[in-house]
Amino acid sequence: MNRQRSSVRSSRGSNSTSNGSDPREKFKDCCRKFAVFMCTQVGVGALIISYALIGALIFEAIEGKANNTEIVTINETRRILVSELWEVVEDYNTLNTTAFIVRVNDLLFNYQLNFTESVKRGYEQKPPGEIWTYPASLMFCLSVFSMIGYGNIVPKTKWGKVLTMVYATFGIPLYILYFVSMGKVLASTFKWVYTWMHDCSNDSGNANSSEEGSSLQLPKTKKKIIVPSTACLWVISIYIAGGTVMFAEWENWSYTNSAYFVSTSLCKIGFGDFNVGKTRFIEKNGTMIADLNDSSAENHSKLVINFIFILFGMALVAMCYILMREEVREKYREIKEDTKMCMEDVSAKFAKCFGTTNIDDEYEEKYF
Amino acid sequence: MERKRSIRRRPKPPFERLKDHCRAFTAFMFSNVGITFLVVLYIIGGSFMFIAIEKPYDQSRRETSKLVRNETILKLWEILFENDNMFNYASFNETVEKILLDYQNTYTERQRKGVTEDVSGKNENSTQWTFSGGFLYCLTVITTIGYGNITPSTELGKIATIFYAIIGMPLFLLYLSNIGDILAKSFKWIYAKCCLCRVCPNIARRRLAREKHKEKLRQNGDFPSESGGTDSGSISSYENDSEIEMEIMKNPQDITVPIPICVAIMIGYILLGAFIFDAWEGWGLLDSSYFCFISLSSIGLGDFSPAMALKIEPKEGQDEKDVGIRNVDLSFIFCSVYLLLGMALIAMCFNLMQEQVMHKLAVLKACSKQCFKCKRQTKKVEEQVQAQPEAKLQEKEKSVSAKTSTSFFPTASSHSHE
Repeated sequence: MNRQRSSVRSSRGSNSTSNGSDPREKFKDCCRKFAVFMCTQVGVGALIISYALIGALIFEAIEGKANNTEIVTINETRRILVSELWEVVEDYNTLNTTAFIVRVNDLLFNYQLNFTESVKRGYEQKPPGEIWTYPASLMFCLSVFSMIGYGNIVPKTKWGKVLTMVYATFGIPLYILYFVSMGKVLASTFKWVYTWMHDCSNDSGNANSSEEGSSLQLPKTKKKIIVPSTACLWVISIYIAGGTVMFAEWENWSYTNSAYFVSTSLCKIGFGDFNVGKTRFIEKNGTMIADLNDSSAENHSKLVINFIFILFGMALVAMCYILMREEVREKYREIKEDTKMCMEDVSAKFAKCFGTTNIDDEYEEKYF
Repeated sequence: MERKRSIRRRPKPPFERLKDHCRAFTAFMFSNVGITFLVVLYIIGGSFMFIAIEKPYDQSRRETSKLVRNETILKLWEILFENDNMFNYASFNETVEKILLDYQNTYTERQRKGVTEDVSGKNENSTQWTFSGGFLYCLTVITTIGYGNITPSTELGKIATIFYAIIGMPLFLLYLSNIGDILAKSFKWIYAKCCLCRVCPNIARRRLAREKHKEKLRQNGDFPSESGGTDSGSISSYENDSEIEMEIMKNPQDITVPIPICVAIMIGYILLGAFIFDAWEGWGLLDSSYFCFISLSSIGLGDFSPAMALKIEPKEGQDEKDVGIRNVDLSFIFCSVYLLLGMALIAMCFNLMQEQVMHKLAVLKACSKQCFKCKRQTKKVEEQVQAQPEAKLQEKEKSVSAKTSTSFFPTASSHSHE
């Protein structure tokens, strides 16, 4: 579509202005590039976000409706335990502390066994409708297709599991596409910024020298500039540090924990021992429900920001990967040339030692 | 690269050939076996490191399990005798239920963080940070699976994890690409030898001749009478003998494995794993295949993790407990091997699929390039035809946009222009 439109526009331009094909060509090129950019980079970004949004809707619908039977059974056992405790109190309402403690200890231990079993069978503290809110399922989608896999929220139903597999099958290639294309865009942008800064610093350094000389030097340097890996590492470490401070402030984690969370997330490991938007009720165990109601909106915004943070962080990682790969390749080429020279020397010596022309021919065929 | 170049030369003196083989062997040892050893060594070293860091803390944390229960009991005691609501069942119910909920929540949280509760009350000093546990932990770090069933809880352990991952992940990627490459090559070789019948040259020759014959029939559809009967096949085979010979002698690395086979291999591997885990851990088939998929795609949600069921098993008696622990170890090791192999296998499949896709993309690119070229030519033609009225031009443009393949257009327009 875009291409057609551009061709129409260019033909109209040709009607109005008979000559001057160069600017028109330039304009066309610009248009084409813009269209390509929109279709590939922005398009892929929009695609992945819409994929996540749609996936979140589906998972919310499927998993939110499922009822966790374990919750009912656990509540039942708790009620039984309370009545049993009441009986114990009735029995030992004298100040017989030791007997009381022994009995209660037994009861509590039994109860513990019960619910540890039921946690293994998939008990959650909250009903699925509260767990699978829209932002939470958005985070789940992100953690599936970006291969992080926090595991704080997992599908419990049969269909949810099947759907997760299907979702991952299509999502992961899409995500890799996003990873690569965003990495390329960011890498080229970063390179441009870096060369620009480099030029600026050079200009300020060579301010005294004549302008012609600097303008002659610039194109030479532009071609050879390869962004050093330290610059990439600085960028990524600044990003991680920013994330660390942000999450530490929000969630009241220590800085070590926060850095651990951010870096394991960006490395796609995702243990899931720390989760955004979940700490509130761990801190205040007693008033868990009220607290969640209070801060649910806040938690949701946190989850969304976390989503964006990780998605952009992944692109940054891709950028660093591409830039560093470039540098490594450059170095590899240098090393290869060196070894080639070495091999030439060795082969020449070999040929001398054996003194047969036949082998010499073979080597020439092989190495040159 | 070197190996590829050294294949298919004219026959060399035996000494040279031996040297080539030696070189290839050493390269293989250094690149592939070496990297595998390096990865395994890295994992083993890492597991020892994490055990050293985490084990003391883990044991102390395990002791707090009892403390929490005792605290709860004391709380109950205090509530009973400080607030004298002993005879009010409703209020008693409320307060006690709250305390129990607290107790339950702390325990579920602990369990989710990987503290296996002392279910039997006997193996109090058993810890997650055994060698096999540490091994699996390190594996989940460098493969970026991250189940989260075993996690570090000390500050030092967390920092060590970050650095361990930074060094380990590139190493593992290197391993994947290397082993994937090797597996792809060997799979191609097997595919060439077995499925395309390259083992026996006679069969292959006959098959190829038949194919050529069919192709020829398709091409020369106008002359069916000429190439009819059985002897024509033999004629064609004689005709294309050199070509067929070339085809047979062709490097097995040049053929492409079709995508469905790759997909079938992946699905087969996942199903195999599903059967084994189903037998081993007692999950259902769906859950096991879900686990295999989630693990191999390096998502690692962690709702299922290896050796989960076996941890509960040792309930009574020392002997059973020993058996259980041995089983856990075996399960851990089996799972590690399954993951290491499976990821390499998936890398292989992606390698093969990528080749196929690249090939198709190149064809597509060439096609589109041709189309694009034609369009440019048409534009130039349009510019030349400026003298014509505008309405006609726009009509032409419409026709350009309407046509999907514009390869015929420039000739037609030039004809009209003439």
